[in-house]
Amino acid sequence: MKRSGIFGILGLLNGPQTMGRGWVFWIGFVVFVVLAYLGPTHLGLKPYKINEFLISGFLAASLSILWGYCGILSLGQVAFFGIGGYVWGVIGINLWDSTGNTHLAFLGGILAPTAFAAIVGAAMFLARLKGVYIAILMLVLSLLLETFMLQTADPEVYSIGKAVLGGSNGLRPASDIPNAAFGWGESVVDFNGRRAEFYYFALTLLILTYLGLRMLLNSSFGYLLVAVREDPDRTETFGYDVRLIQLAVFCIAAAIAGLAGSLDTARINRVDPEVFGVSANIMVVIWVAVGGRKDLTAAILGAISLEWLFLWLTTSGNPEYATIVMGAILVGVMLIAPEGIFVFIGERLRVLFGKSGLFSVERKDSVI
Amino acid sequence: MNSRADTGQPQTVTGDTPIVEIRNVIKDFGGVRATDNLSLAITPGELHCMIGPNGAGKSTFFKLLMGTIRPSSGTIHFNGEDITRLAPFARARRGLGIKFQNMQVYQELTVFQNFFVPMRRHHKPAEMPELVDRILRRIHLTGLEDETVKNLSHGQQQWLSIGMSIALEPKVLLLDEPAAGMGPEETASTAEIIKALNAEGMTIIVIEHDMEFIRSLNSRTSVLHLGALFAQGSYEDIERNEDVHKIYLGKA
Ligand SMILES: Nc1ncnc2c1ncn2[C@@H]1O[C@H](COP(=O)(O)OP(=O)(O)OP(=O)(O)O)[C@@H](O)[C@H]1O
Ligand SMILES: [Mg+2]
Repeated sequence: MKRSGIFGILGLLNGPQTMGRGWVFWIGFVVFVVLAYLGPTHLGLKPYKINEFLISGFLAASLSILWGYCGILSLGQVAFFGIGGYVWGVIGINLWDSTGNTHLAFLGGILAPTAFAAIVGAAMFLARLKGVYIAILMLVLSLLLETFMLQTADPEVYSIGKAVLGGSNGLRPASDIPNAAFGWGESVVDFNGRRAEFYYFALTLLILTYLGLRMLLNSSFGYLLVAVREDPDRTETFGYDVRLIQLAVFCIAAAIAGLAGSLDTARINRVDPEVFGVSANIMVVIWVAVGGRKDLTAAILGAISLEWLFLWLTTSGNPEYATIVMGAILVGVMLIAPEGIFVFIGERLRVLFGKSGLFSVERKDSVI
Repeated sequence: MNSRADTGQPQTVTGDTPIVEIRNVIKDFGGVRATDNLSLAITPGELHCMIGPNGAGKSTFFKLLMGTIRPSSGTIHFNGEDITRLAPFARARRGLGIKFQNMQVYQELTVFQNFFVPMRRHHKPAEMPELVDRILRRIHLTGLEDETVKNLSHGQQQWLSIGMSIALEPKVLLLDEPAAGMGPEETASTAEIIKALNAEGMTIIVIEHDMEFIRSLNSRTSVLHLGALFAQGSYEDIERNEDVHKIYLGKA
């Protein structure tokens, strides 16, 4: 049994902590990616509708690594999304005239929520807070942020440079929130959030994030995440400071949520306190639970397909029944496939292709 | 191996400096006093057995040693260092390994993957397969490295849990009821595993109810009762001690 060299780059992409390995999976992956890129031009996908779905994909990935892999359920994951969105907007508005790009807005939109997560996470994990307390605390925090942002209507008090926080109307001046833009001077590339150019940009970022997270999850750090999920006390008796592992994954998840929030503000050139609300928080949990929290791929697919389904229900036939139909589907899926619909499908595919060794390489060759 | 018959007295240092020593430890859970002014010393290389009726405070003693709970008062020393305030992971890094009373294995991972976490601290991934093979041979799980742990029998999971603690290469190994739920043959094998480890120099403290098992280990034994040290001595001393029989029958 030879296991050496599995720590190579390709091995990390392949498993074992992420579902889907072996040739069939990767061929399927490439086909899927090619189709996704051809979507706007050849498959009639409307970027102004589906750009939002890609952003859901980031949020789902963020909650999947935190909850699915490390066992820390947060009911306030969009707190980081919202902070990222606001910080992106404030920096974007203020630096646009002088720089003409949004490099620093993205940097701030990722780093600010990460720093916030480091402070909140340190307080929670060092106090060895567990389970439901973390979930609730994060929801409360998100709602506090919403309440705070709602009362920022007075421009005299709540302005940061040219940006006015704007209370319930959201960040102003709305028309001056820039698009995502990269480059300098003449060579700035600008991505209009309602067009295909933004779609290609966000899709590329999502694929890169996905592949990067696959490598992280299949590295030894990913093992520790799963070990902490399975049994934190036992893991600590092996000499690991479990609190630091939890803090690390909490910060990484916050960074990805912050990137999602940044992208969303850039997409619609607005951000308002609703991003911190209960329904936003619950949606993320539903996407991930229905898709399959314990697998990155499943969680992302869950988010995108549920968003798509909801859009389809609301725009076709009887939109007044959309919420009820959606609810029925969610309950049905959770009854049939409690681990998530895409994990369920993945397991079936593994059985189907497993014998030929195509869909998943032999277990023993992929142990690390 | 120490077989002095100093029944009833808290053990004071004999010869070697103790590798594990707790002094006057009290642990209260609300109104329940789980350990009552307990003092105990373990010499390096010793195989020490611990028995006592249900609720005597045996598991509490282990948790205090490992740091998953903190004493209400008293001190805990490891290798001469005061570790009373250290977190469990810091104690593990100093050389304490434990198998708690409840089974502690990662159910959803394979046997091989279970070893990854304890081994990663000291070994490169490339070294692991051989080391794992060696441990699997000791704990009678050879050939099962790719089995998902939840498919193993109860006894096999107990062994795996012991194996994972060994993989940490601890100086002192704490085993809380390692043979619980095992049949006679598995119990005998478990005793052999423990004796072999001890013969190689590992200090081991074993909590057990099964007297057959304690007899086969045949080593210095402490009896806990109501959170205090009730008796201590060689296995024969304890077996001959009428008072020990009484507390097990609920008469003392
Ligand atoms: N976390 C806790 N909270 C409250 N009481 C506890 C706790 N842990 C232990 N106790 C109590 O402390 C006493 C000692 O328990 P302990 O688990 O140490 O006994 P034990 O000797 O290991 O028993 P057994 O042989 O049944 O495993 C018992 O009365 C128990 O109910
Ligand atoms: Mg016990």
